[in-house]
Formats: sequence, C-alpha cells, structure tokens
Amino acid sequence: MKERVILHCDINHCYAQIEEMMAPELRNIAMAVGGHEESRHGIILAKNDLAKKYKIKTGESLREAYKKCPHLLIVHPHYEEYLYYTEKVKNIYREYSDRVESFGLDEAWVDISNSVSLYGNPKKIAEIIQQRVLEEVGLTISIGLSFNKIFAKLGSDMIKPMGLVEINRDNYKYKAWDLPVQDLLCVGRATQAKLNLYGIETIGDLACFDVNVLKRNLGKMGEIIYWFANGYDQSEVAFVGSAEEAKSIGNGITTPKDIRNMEEAKIVFYVLCESVAQRAREQGLEGKCVSIHLRDKDLKSFSRQKKIERATNDSDEMMAAVMELLEKNYDFLKPLRSVTVTLSKLQMEKQEYQMSLFENENSRQRKRQLEETIDQIRSLYGHDAVKRCSMLIDEELSGFDPKNDHTIFPVGYFS
Amino acid sequence: MMQLYKRYVSVICLVDKEGKIKPLMIVWENGEKYPIDRILEIRNATSEVGGCGVLYRCRIQNQERRLFYERNRWFIESTKP
Repeated sequence: MKERVILHCDINHCYAQIEEMMAPELRNIAMAVGGHEESRHGIILAKNDLAKKYKIKTGESLREAYKKCPHLLIVHPHYEEYLYYTEKVKNIYREYSDRVESFGLDEAWVDISNSVSLYGNPKKIAEIIQQRVLEEVGLTISIGLSFNKIFAKLGSDMIKPMGLVEINRDNYKYKAWDLPVQDLLCVGRATQAKLNLYGIETIGDLACFDVNVLKRNLGKMGEIIYWFANGYDQSEVAFVGSAEEAKSIGNGITTPKDIRNMEEAKIVFYVLCESVAQRAREQGLEGKCVSIHLRDKDLKSFSRQKKIERATNDSDEMMAAVMELLEKNYDFLKPLRSVTVTLSKLQMEKQEYQMSLFENENSRQRKRQLEETIDQIRSLYGHDAVKRCSMLIDEELSGFDPKNDHTIFPVGYFS
Repeated sequence: MMQLYKRYVSVICLVDKEGKIKPLMIVWENGEKYPIDRILEIRNATSEVGGCGVLYRCRIQNQERRLFYERNRWFIESTKP
C-alpha cells in the first residue's frame, strides 16, 4: 500500500485568534475569551499570547484568571462567527483533498496522499495551506504531517504558532517517542495515572511496553493506545460531507441560579426535554434510553439512565422518565448547578408500531399531533411564541432556548 | 504608514445572471455617492483594520481603495475615522 500523507491542521488558540482577526487592536493587550460570569459560565475558553504570559490557562475560572492578571480583558464568545470563520478555513483545506475530517471546530485532518504529485511534495502543500489561511482568513495554523492521524496530531501540537512538523517513519522514534504519554490522543488523566504506575512516562515507553499487560489492565483501550504509540493507526480520514450518524441527542445547561428542589428541577428539565424531543423529531429519530447528568454546586457530577419500553421522541414521555430518575437518585441536599438530558439508543421513527393494550393509544396520537403543531408554531413565530404554563413560575430558570442557542459540542475520536 | 479605519458603507451592486457581484458605487453616510471607476483585483483577503472576506481592489476618483465584502456587508479601509 502506498504510504499515506496526512495533515493535522490546528487553528492556534482558535476563539481568541478569530476575535483578534475581527478586531486587531485586541492583539496589543492581554485578552481571553470567556463566558458570562453573571450567568455562571465563567471560564476561560481561549486566550491570546499576551494573556498566556500571565500563565492563564484554558478552562480555569475568570476569578482565578483575574487574580493572575487583573487587567485581563474578557471578550464574550461569538460562536456564530467562530462557526463561520472556521468553516471558511476548512473550505481552503477542501480545495486540496476530498478527505477532510473535522475534529471539533478548530482542528481537522486532511488526507493529501493523492494530491502530492500535483504540488511536488507534502511539505509544500502544507506551506501553501498555511500561507493561504493566513492571507485569506487572517489566522495562523499549526500543521503536523505524518503517515497516520495520531502522529499528525502530535506534530501539530509541537510548535505554535505557524508550526509545521513532519513525523515520518525515519524520525518518529525520537520526535514522537520523547513526548510525555499524556500528549497521545485518548490518554486522559486517569489513563495517564495508571500508565505512570507501570513506569510509562513517554510515548516511547508505551510503544515498547508489553501489549498483553496493557490489555489486561486497561482493556481494549490499552491495546488501542499501544497501536497509536507505535504508529499503527490505520483509521481513514473521512470523506468531505460524510457525517457520522448521531448516536444520541442531548441538551444541557448551567442554570443562572442553583436548582434547589424538585419543582425548580422540573422547570429546567421540561425545557431540555422539549428541545431534545424536538431535535429528535426533526431528524426522524426516536430513542429508547433516557439519561440525565447532574452536577451539584461543588462540581461533583454523575449520570443515571433508564431504558424505556417503547422508543419515543415525545417530551412528556421523556419527562416522565427523567422525573423518575431524579426522584430515585437525588435528594437535593446539595443544590444542582448544571443538568443535562440525553436521548440515546436511537432508531429511525417507525410509521407503524405495536399498539399497547394498556395505554390509551388515542391520547398518544393526539399528544403527538400537539407536539408537532407546537414545533410548527415555534418554527414560524419563534421559541417564545408558545410555552407551557409551568414555565412562567420561574422565568429565570426557564428562559433559555437550548435548541437555538449556540450548539458547539466537544467531540471524541471514536464517535 | 497612514492609519486606516474600518468603515462599513452602503454599496450599490450589480448581480449578474451567474450570480457574480460587482460593486458599482459606494454611498457614504452623508448620502454622497462615489462611483467605482475600475475593479483592479478580486480575491479573498484579510484586512489590516480587522475582518476578512472578498477583497475588491478598486479605483475610485483616481485613488486605489480596498473594499471588502465581509459575510453580508461591505466595509472600506477608510483614511478618515
């Protein structure tokens, strides 16, 4: 088989850079993109180079950040702009290959194996892409170039900004293997701790370790990361336009104030269930499993799930499952800070289904029609045009629209 | 170098039957109109005053001007704030 040539392109501190591109004067001050403190989304999402000097980290709270750098400027995120400009960058990638796979907003793999002969050599293509993104969209990107996706990603993380690192079969043993093991994709904090117990500190250590021991102790993942470390990863870069089928539909929110009791939780969960159910209906899907994820005010979190008899995309049926889970599993000794509802085990909506002897099928049908009508009203006149009465009890808790408010989700490698 | 400012402007355009957009005239805030005498170059570019989009390098009253089509509106790198 011909050796593949894969680029991993990473927009350097993406959100912050797009803000700088739109308003160049931000380049001269320490700036970070962060959520709204009032609505308690107060964490740093991205920072510029000047802010980096103050050791501001992505993910820390605004309060911690201000402690390190009191004159830090916080810009609130403009997700819609980020979607637009990152898509523009990806359109440039797409001119060089029909295999471009996004990994979140700011990262993408590009398989240029078949374009190499057009441009001479892979490095040249990478340089052209880098130059074009800088000139046309005004953003710097770092590129890793390798024979598999994993090493390409390692390469793009090495030099920032505007890095271009090639990891090939001749040099991967010293370029990739010297890196700490947690730099490898899929090695998180928990796995790292386990690996460290075996004296595995670098990717090289992992690659030379006994795969059977890894498998015994870490399961399937142990074997996979062993392959990754050795550069055996064979996964293809997905074709442009091929979208992974959704495995679940979920919505969550960090509420503007803590949820202290069942009544308040009900309001928030109703909004979430309605949104999830509506999204499922739009895609013609229904799900058999409802799960909730709760996070209390000390940021401790857990999930519970429940299988339901018949696949559904009805918000009331989902809500019943959610309330049951909540009643069984939470006592509100600690108020909740954020909650999520997810519908999974999805399948295509069936036109005909087995009717139940014990449920009122007529009312089920009528409810279905009602929900569809509400969807139509909302799509014509906006989310607020029609609401449940119970939503008015506490508008602070119910006043959000998860379906249309920005939706950018973190992604996993094995989606 | 001269300090430039980002000014959003109204633009009168011709959209041809292929869907190509050609700016014909810039309309300033006070209503004054400046016809675009000639388009010298069209390409994707970033502006030093912030933002990016399709750059139309134009000649207006014997001066070269950089006019940008940014998403759905136009701005010009203006010499006046």
